[in-house]
Amino acid sequence: MNIHDELSDNEVLRAASDSLSAMPVAGPPDVEAIMARGRAHRARRLSAVAGLSVAGVAAGTALALGLTGALGPARTTGTIRTAAFTLVSNTNGTATLTLNPVQLFDPGQLQSDLAKYGIPAKVTSGSYCTSDPEPAGFSQVVSLPGPGTSQGTSRQTLTITIDPAAMPDGTELSFGNFQLTTGELAGEQQADMDLIDASSYTCTSTPPTLGPDTPGFGVLRGGQADGRH
Amino acid sequence: MSNEQTEFADFFQASWEPCLRAVMAVAGSRQQAEDQVADAFAKAWGSWRKLQRHPAPRAWVVRTALNTGASWWRRRRRELPLTDHDLAAPGDLDGGLDAALMTAIWLLPARQREVIALRIFLDLDNATIASQLGIEAGTVRMHLSRGVAALRRELTPTKSLEDGQ
Repeated sequence: MNIHDELSDNEVLRAASDSLSAMPVAGPPDVEAIMARGRAHRARRLSAVAGLSVAGVAAGTALALGLTGALGPARTTGTIRTAAFTLVSNTNGTATLTLNPVQLFDPGQLQSDLAKYGIPAKVTSGSYCTSDPEPAGFSQVVSLPGPGTSQGTSRQTLTITIDPAAMPDGTELSFGNFQLTTGELAGEQQADMDLIDASSYTCTSTPPTLGPDTPGFGVLRGGQADGRH
Repeated sequence: MSNEQTEFADFFQASWEPCLRAVMAVAGSRQQAEDQVADAFAKAWGSWRKLQRHPAPRAWVVRTALNTGASWWRRRRRELPLTDHDLAAPGDLDGGLDAALMTAIWLLPARQREVIALRIFLDLDNATIASQLGIEAGTVRMHLSRGVAALRRELTPTKSLEDGQ
């Protein structure tokens, strides 16, 4: 074979498969635990639907403001700095959001500023909105800087890049901000994010959790970014 | 166990590894992927009666895992102080892992990685991948073609050198 010979598509995919398959992975967790989590998901979903009459009115009000008021889709450029976050409009149409873990964001302010950069969002405090099924595309819309950046060396900030052009029609970004009141993390803060269908979502005052077998998750702990392990 | 539970358990046992590998290929982080896939299977059990009739239930699990923003957010928070993506972390590059190829895979745009992962690990055709991702089959072909071309550029010199020796 000389340098001009090329691998077939199947050969390339096989090589990628071989390499990815060589990564060690954990075996499946206990199916009973998975099913218990599934039952909890279902219960939360039903609970959220039951509470929608109140949460939905509040969320619908926020949506109406976003569509008709100063939070409309007109996009501005530049940088917005607050004590809690910095939002930068990038030339490629994306926006970079850096959260300061020592200062919790004000939901209305963040939602307003995201809207200025063309990012429809539902930012809530004490509740969190999700859609079932979740709209596809979260990984296309939200991303971190690529490998090799210095982002990973700091615990002081969290930076994400949001691409509003990648958001499917009719979707919004849901930001939920919680003050945890129970469990071993009581007194700490938690922020969650998801993509939702703006015409079909439920909001719950229960912070999302991944269950007791979750190895850890980030929280805003007493002014310091931290992770439970 | 009821019949329904047994059916789900069988599906779970048989599908865990391919779904996990597909999500790892896209998400980059092993721990994040394990967490997201476990959560997706939990949701699968919560919707099992509906999912049983789904044409590609494994693809549903993978898409659900990749759409789980909450866990993504939180896992990233914990992983940030370490490395951005432990897919390419040196500690993982043992056995049959090809560091350069793994890096090349990670550097692909997310959608290309997703299409390739669904093809490799779930053995889905273009039409099924398209329906799962909500895009056109032609777009799947385009992503697959571009992704494979990028990986080929990484692989071809290596193979040529090996063959020349």
